[in-house]
Amino acid sequence: MPHLSHACEPARRGFFKQLALASSALPLVAGSTLGLASPAQAAPTAEAMLPDPWLAYQSFSAGEAAFVEALVNIMCPADAYTPAGVDCGLAVYIDRQLAGSFGQGDRRYRQGPFDPGKPQFGWQFPLTPEQFFKAGVAAANAELKRRGKAALDQLPTPDADAFLHELAAGQVQVDGLDLGVWFNELVYPLFTEACFSDPIYGGNNGKVFWKLIGYPGLPATHALDIVQFRGKPYPGGSKPMSIADFS
Amino acid sequence: MKKLSKKTVVIVGGGLAAGLVSRQLTAQGIDVLVLERGVDHREGAEAQLPSQRDELRWDVRQGLIQNWARETYTARHSSAETAVPMRWIEAFLPGEGIGGAGNHWNGHTWRWGEHEPRLRSYYLERYGKDAVPAHMPLQDWGVNYAEMEPYHELFEKLFGLSGRAGNIAGLRQPGGNPFEAPRRSEYPQKPLEATEAGLIFEAAATKMGYHPFPIPAANSSGAYTNPDGQKLGACQYCGHCERFICEAQAKASPQQLLYPMLRQRKGFEIRTDAHVLGVDYDRRTQRATGVRYLDLKTGLSYEQPAEVVVLAAFTMSNTKLLLTGGIGQPYDPATRKGVVGKNFCYQVNGGVDIFMKDRVFNPFMATGCTGIAIDDFNNDNFDHRGLGFLGGSIIAANQFGGRPIKSRRVPPGTPAWGTAWKKANADWYNHAMSLSILGSCYPDHDNYLSLDPQHTDAFGQPLVRMTFDFRRNEQRMADYTGHKMLDIAQAIGGDALGPLNVQVSPFDARRYQSTHITGGTVMGADPHTSVVSPHLQHWDAQNLFVVGASVYDHNSSYNPTGPLAALALRLGDDLLRYVKSPGRL
Repeated sequence: MPHLSHACEPARRGFFKQLALASSALPLVAGSTLGLASPAQAAPTAEAMLPDPWLAYQSFSAGEAAFVEALVNIMCPADAYTPAGVDCGLAVYIDRQLAGSFGQGDRRYRQGPFDPGKPQFGWQFPLTPEQFFKAGVAAANAELKRRGKAALDQLPTPDADAFLHELAAGQVQVDGLDLGVWFNELVYPLFTEACFSDPIYGGNNGKVFWKLIGYPGLPATHALDIVQFRGKPYPGGSKPMSIADFS
Repeated sequence: MKKLSKKTVVIVGGGLAAGLVSRQLTAQGIDVLVLERGVDHREGAEAQLPSQRDELRWDVRQGLIQNWARETYTARHSSAETAVPMRWIEAFLPGEGIGGAGNHWNGHTWRWGEHEPRLRSYYLERYGKDAVPAHMPLQDWGVNYAEMEPYHELFEKLFGLSGRAGNIAGLRQPGGNPFEAPRRSEYPQKPLEATEAGLIFEAAATKMGYHPFPIPAANSSGAYTNPDGQKLGACQYCGHCERFICEAQAKASPQQLLYPMLRQRKGFEIRTDAHVLGVDYDRRTQRATGVRYLDLKTGLSYEQPAEVVVLAAFTMSNTKLLLTGGIGQPYDPATRKGVVGKNFCYQVNGGVDIFMKDRVFNPFMATGCTGIAIDDFNNDNFDHRGLGFLGGSIIAANQFGGRPIKSRRVPPGTPAWGTAWKKANADWYNHAMSLSILGSCYPDHDNYLSLDPQHTDAFGQPLVRMTFDFRRNEQRMADYTGHKMLDIAQAIGGDALGPLNVQVSPFDARRYQSTHITGGTVMGADPHTSVVSPHLQHWDAQNLFVVGASVYDHNSSYNPTGPLAALALRLGDDLLRYVKSPGRL
């Protein structure tokens, strides 16, 4: 099982709720006083050195923000490999994607008529990805409530993690909304993009996930390297460069 | 609608085929107008550093791909089902803009098997009169390899291919592909550098008695100047080929090698943002009189008269323009009569991951073509008696770029998130390789293109409806060649193997497989079973020509670019004759 002891620290969640409620014009900056480092942590993280790139959420309500922050902190707990998901920028990434052209369904075919189709041909309803995302958040919390449980962000971490695994297994439908499709075809891809895309999109803060795997990023001019480092570790993997480093 | 002045040759679609046809025609002073629905990418963020190196923007979000909001396709697995629109397609990726899909291609450039243009005849000769099942409308192309060979030769020099010949005029060449069709000369450039994964595969395949060779690549292994004086830079192995435009001008592409040159030529014109709405067809005289297009920059529509119309758009668009224009008899799967839309084919794809903790792969040092392959289980290079299928697969160790969002491999049993997931990514990203099969797809009576009766594009025109699944022949072929691949993976060994992934049916639009969809406007010597003649001349309109993978009667395991380019160059020469003396070619 993943190491989850720092996944959903209440103080952190509270801060982001306040943040989401605050005026988006205010340049809010998460301070180091809110850091997650605790004596119980097995290995130090690089969190203290990471900048906080976000100002405020563009798409999420306070409740949606709490859900997504809990989700990314469960899926990316603070551990020896990376800081917690929120601190890696994963929630900010998802928020910005949903607020932007992807979330608005910019390049998706969205004309009617709408009829049910086989899963292999993709979702067949008129919602934008942003609307679908939010409908899924509401449905997931509604399902928890139906079971007599708290909203995802209030659940003990192991319970929340187990619930996400249930969603991924395609076992939960709420009023016809298939939370398996929602999780596997929308939420999970956004999560991995948030981890591994270029940091200009708000996730992969400090290139932590590129460092994790040893992806060197830019400029990727490897004409000589491919011979010199064939079968050998490439030193650039520990010092990745991103688009911003060349801009 | 404003009527414009007449042009000699009007070509729909500004991709590779149009560029090659135009090269032949404008060299002889014939005026050509190309209508391209997209833009010129050369000055865009997609073609410059650092913005070119953006996996999210160009790959995941498909920044260079057809805008599905404007036009997509509907799909169903059989004609008994009702099709629904694929509202976002991952399976295949049509391009937009000057260069078309030739901008974002990998660069794999094959000559197909020598027997492939006469595949039906070949199988009947080899395996008897019952060799081809009744549901499989395999047919000959009406052209043979020897007629195409000089054009393959020319194209390979124009695009500066990197590779190693295996068969020069019938003589085996060490290190090359012994199964390749005979070539008149060596590749223009030496092969790309092999990766660690390629060397591991090469050693295992050799030990098993197979015949590994470097995949022929349009990614330039050195600095190169082509016969037209156009230049390629040396490839940097940056790992951003397929789904990206090469900013280093090292991946041979039409927008690099053809269009800048063509734009200097008198008589050549290309109009961008020009979405062709239809072909005007005079049924009485059996002639295409021109095309209509919408200027996307102004919203104005134009009528563009032409002496000759060439359809050189993507497979789907070529078929659509014939169907909306009422040109030729649409195919009907119930009666198996009609021709437009028939023999729609795709390509088979599968793979297996190999995890080796003591080997270092640097997956990010790669091109779209850094691969070592074997053809021992491809085409009819092995005896098919008793196997229950026709066709075969390339088996290869490719390394395309290790881009971190989509190209991470973790061993089976790894959780999908959490600390253990991160650990597996950290442990294996640089210590895993994969083998893949890329296989043929033969036609089936129930795989075809038609106009959707219900759904329309942004211009109010019907969407193309794709009735397709991988049928029994392809599933059996994938199983057989997939297990041959698995044998090699097991021989390589390592610490763990991923699952054998060779399930090809049901066709799934949510998963990228290959952009190589073919057929719909097939070529042949018989007007009752083909749309265009062996010279690509429409049977029902002698001044209308169709070029592209839409004319293929079947799809090969080999990617379609080689014969497509050869046929386009040949069409250019045919059109020189036609313009001087119009008539049946």
